[in-house]
Amino acid sequence: MKFTLKIWRQNGPEEKGRFVTYEAHDVSAGMSFLEMLDGVNQGLIAKGEEPVAFEQDCREGICGSCSLVINGIPHGPDRGMTTCQLYMRRFPDGAVILIEPWRARAFPIIKDLVVDRSAFDRIMQAGGYISVNTGGAVDGNVLLIGKDQAETAMDAASCIGCGACVAACKNASAMLFVGAKVAHFATLPQGKPERTRRVKAMLEAMDREGFGSCGNQYECEAVCPKDISVRFIATLNREYLRAGIVESGLPGEPGSPHAEST
Amino acid sequence: MTRLLNHFQSSVGSKMVMALTGLGLVTYVVFHMLGNLQVFEGSHALNRYAAFLRDMPILLWTARLGLLSLAVLHIGLAIRLGLRNHRARPVAYAVHEYRQASFASRTMAVSGLVLVLFILFHLLHLTAGVIDPTSADRLDAEGHRDVYGKVVHAFQNPFIVALYLVGQLGIGLHLSHAVTSSFQTLGLEYAAFSRFFKAAGPAVALVVVLGNVAIILGIFLGIVRG
Repeated sequence: MKFTLKIWRQNGPEEKGRFVTYEAHDVSAGMSFLEMLDGVNQGLIAKGEEPVAFEQDCREGICGSCSLVINGIPHGPDRGMTTCQLYMRRFPDGAVILIEPWRARAFPIIKDLVVDRSAFDRIMQAGGYISVNTGGAVDGNVLLIGKDQAETAMDAASCIGCGACVAACKNASAMLFVGAKVAHFATLPQGKPERTRRVKAMLEAMDREGFGSCGNQYECEAVCPKDISVRFIATLNREYLRAGIVESGLPGEPGSPHAEST
Repeated sequence: MTRLLNHFQSSVGSKMVMALTGLGLVTYVVFHMLGNLQVFEGSHALNRYAAFLRDMPILLWTARLGLLSLAVLHIGLAIRLGLRNHRARPVAYAVHEYRQASFASRTMAVSGLVLVLFILFHLLHLTAGVIDPTSADRLDAEGHRDVYGKVVHAFQNPFIVALYLVGQLGIGLHLSHAVTSSFQTLGLEYAAFSRFFKAAGPAVALVVVLGNVAIILGIFLGIVRG
């Protein structure tokens, strides 16, 4: 197969970027999108040109490294799929394919198609954890958790943090990511003690990083490679509302001596 | 209390205030439409209803100031969030394809602007009587202000009818996304009710638009006469 690629090239964060057209020859239908790009890069290296920088790691749809907005859709045309799992047989022979990086103020471009997603790490550092004492590991199944709760938490926890939700959102909002993380912890008993502090800290971090807010268009859900449901955004909103009520107490009432400190 | 106010300063908090103020305004719009349907009962019923509302100045002005503050909060926060959202993506995509966003959700800013302009026109037209002063403040046989005559006179003019129909288009589009959206923003999500929540927006929009269009066209087509 043969493709014409229009790829965003940008030398550094402060440089001006532009689309450059490349031809991909001898592409097999069984190649993944990233393998096709590897081929293009080999050609560029052989010619002594700078290869196209893109992120990748596991190539089995689990690490969350690959990104790429393909023809205007993050992770390409299929639902519930990362770019590395997208195969070239999905495109008609001879097609023109436009490849762009994630675009958001909170995800500045490092080079070409590689963006800095450390904003997500800082949101996680703000509250995306549970506090556990060190020492001997707890026996399995000491805490009994209902099947439905366990499944809901797992649905949320399957987020791989790739950032496609931000890339697809008209407002570059990270609410699906933060919602998945908050819902994951809020559903499980281990996450309950810190739930009030967590949702506030993570949302403050999200605002600080310069992400937009949710417009309830649900584009994020449509491109999420792990099919994370937007109901977790509702969970996030509910947790935030709860935190506001719990924290403020009733007017004039002294704070509870046992209240969770923030 | 300051803590609670700070809580609603954030992006999610602002959205919640927008959802609540929006739902307040929607409630008014629904009752406004229901009250006005009395035009089909004739001049006596509508003028008595109008006099009944006007006879309680405290209630009238509380409602007016309440609606004004709801609208100011709603629009102010919409602008603030909109600017923030705009800043969140400084470089636009060369190609962007929507996958499941509804038409109404993509045009919220436009339909909102149409609504603001329409409401201003509507207030100047039928409430203040600035745009068409000819029929202002006449009295009917019972000594009530002749609201019925004023409304019937207004909707015999095709230009006014066209403007009001555009306003209804704006309100229908805006509400069909807004009401469902507000439930999500307030964290109301429960598997058994998800279909109900999804249908609520389009249903409210349809009821409001049908009711209002019935009044406008009822008069214009001569079903309701002066």
